[in-house]
Amino acid sequence: MTTSADASGARPALRLAGLGVAYGRRAVLEGVTGEVAPGGSLALIGPNGAGKSTLIKAVLGLVEPAAGTVEVLGTTPARARGRVAYVPQAESLDSEFPVTVAQVVLMGRYRRIGWIRRPGRADRAAAALALERVGLGGRAGDRFGILSGGQRQRVLLARALAQEPELLLLDEPFNGVDTTTTEVLLDVLAEQRKAGVAVVMATHDLSIAHLACDTGCLLNHHQVAFAPIAEALTPELLGETYGRSAVVLAGDCTFVTPH
Amino acid sequence: MSRALAEVLLLGVVGAVVGVHVALRRLAFVTEAVQHTVFPGIAVAYAAGWPLLPGAAAAAALTVALLVGLTSGRRRVDVDSALALSIASFFAVGVVVVSRRSGYASDLGTLLFGRILDVGRAEVVETAVIGGLCLLVLGLAHKELVLLALDRTQAAALGLPVVALDALLYAVTAATVVVAVRAIGTVLVVAFIVTPAATGRLLTRSIGGAMAAAAGVAAVLGWIGLSASYEASVHHDVRLAAGATVVVAYTAGFALAGAGRLVLGRLRTGRRPA
Repeated sequence: MTTSADASGARPALRLAGLGVAYGRRAVLEGVTGEVAPGGSLALIGPNGAGKSTLIKAVLGLVEPAAGTVEVLGTTPARARGRVAYVPQAESLDSEFPVTVAQVVLMGRYRRIGWIRRPGRADRAAAALALERVGLGGRAGDRFGILSGGQRQRVLLARALAQEPELLLLDEPFNGVDTTTTEVLLDVLAEQRKAGVAVVMATHDLSIAHLACDTGCLLNHHQVAFAPIAEALTPELLGETYGRSAVVLAGDCTFVTPH
Repeated sequence: MSRALAEVLLLGVVGAVVGVHVALRRLAFVTEAVQHTVFPGIAVAYAAGWPLLPGAAAAAALTVALLVGLTSGRRRVDVDSALALSIASFFAVGVVVVSRRSGYASDLGTLLFGRILDVGRAEVVETAVIGGLCLLVLGLAHKELVLLALDRTQAAALGLPVVALDALLYAVTAATVVVAVRAIGTVLVVAFIVTPAATGRLLTRSIGGAMAAAAGVAAVLGWIGLSASYEASVHHDVRLAAGATVVVAYTAGFALAGAGRLVLGRLRTGRRPA
């Protein structure tokens, strides 16, 4: 390990200080403050439209903060690009698009490859390894769109792995996926964290948040809580986050209904 | 005739490759808009007796600038309405300019439907150079353009200059329209970009395959269409407008490919035991 790597191990992978984002005059996010350590994992929890995706975009440097600061891997989001990987929801991509699974995974390498040059042997090997890791090594030549929703979600995870990131951002990765995909996702995220990769994911699923994350950030335009996961997922805080739609059953079991 | 054939083949191949990118980004309507907004540019050049290319290029550049401005801004603009509005108003300006000249109807006909059989040697060379540049640019930025078409957020997250890439694709599309517009006319140009590409996508499953198939289809059908039009007018005294005949051949090819796929699909499902 070099000294710079040691230094980066000491500072948080993500530091948010009073972050606020506005689209025009409308504030969509206010007062988000907290840190994620390397190897740490943060669940962004809140109703639809609460600002989870906006927070992810701010970390990617795709929206400018209206207030506060975002520090990614010790620098600005724009400078950290390439060290941060993003996994969108599989349904957000056009399933008619004529690309193969292997081509999608290779896209994670495009920044390393650079302009004009074509993917080299190392890039293809990294992509193949990532695809193997999510259990889809045999599907490399298939068209992306013919895979199931869960399989496409795993392909997008493989694309992020091929990027070899230090911070992994996922937007609702567990939404509507099969059990195999859930297991692979949990497995890979745990493995990545062990290797020092920080994970931030938006999710509706409180039991997944419990399983996969050590910290929770409850959002409903403003930050309701940013705390260790067990302290964040209390009936009181969830009730405050979701309004009346949070129903508490039998002690430690909380259900959140969509409406 | 050989010059006309060279022009049709060049435009067909360039249009096919550009068209696959246009289809991936669902920009067919943008192409339609550029072909119409180019019209006042060539109309002014025509009326003044200047070469058409710079006039068309100036109008196209203006359109591209407008498009980038409309689509890159943070405020959401209704792009469809803005394009529809600019198509109508640019076109009206062109007609007003042309209508001030005598022989208005035949001039208008030339500008609207092109005069592919009168294409000059210099024009073919210009088409080859500009078309070649378009293909080169698309080839160099191929992987970035494809990523942008599939997943805009990922492209931006990787730090690709998404607005510049948009502008590049608009510019290449506009340049293709500009070189094609003299031979094909402002009304039919969009068919050169949209139709063979759509056929190519029906016939293949990959992007490279679609480009190769589209270029092949455009070349063969362009040759058939042009020959048919030439044959009919020289030997049978039936006037078939050359550009339009090529477009009809393109459309027939698309219909044939679509029907073929449908039949193949039926046969495949029919073969399965019930």
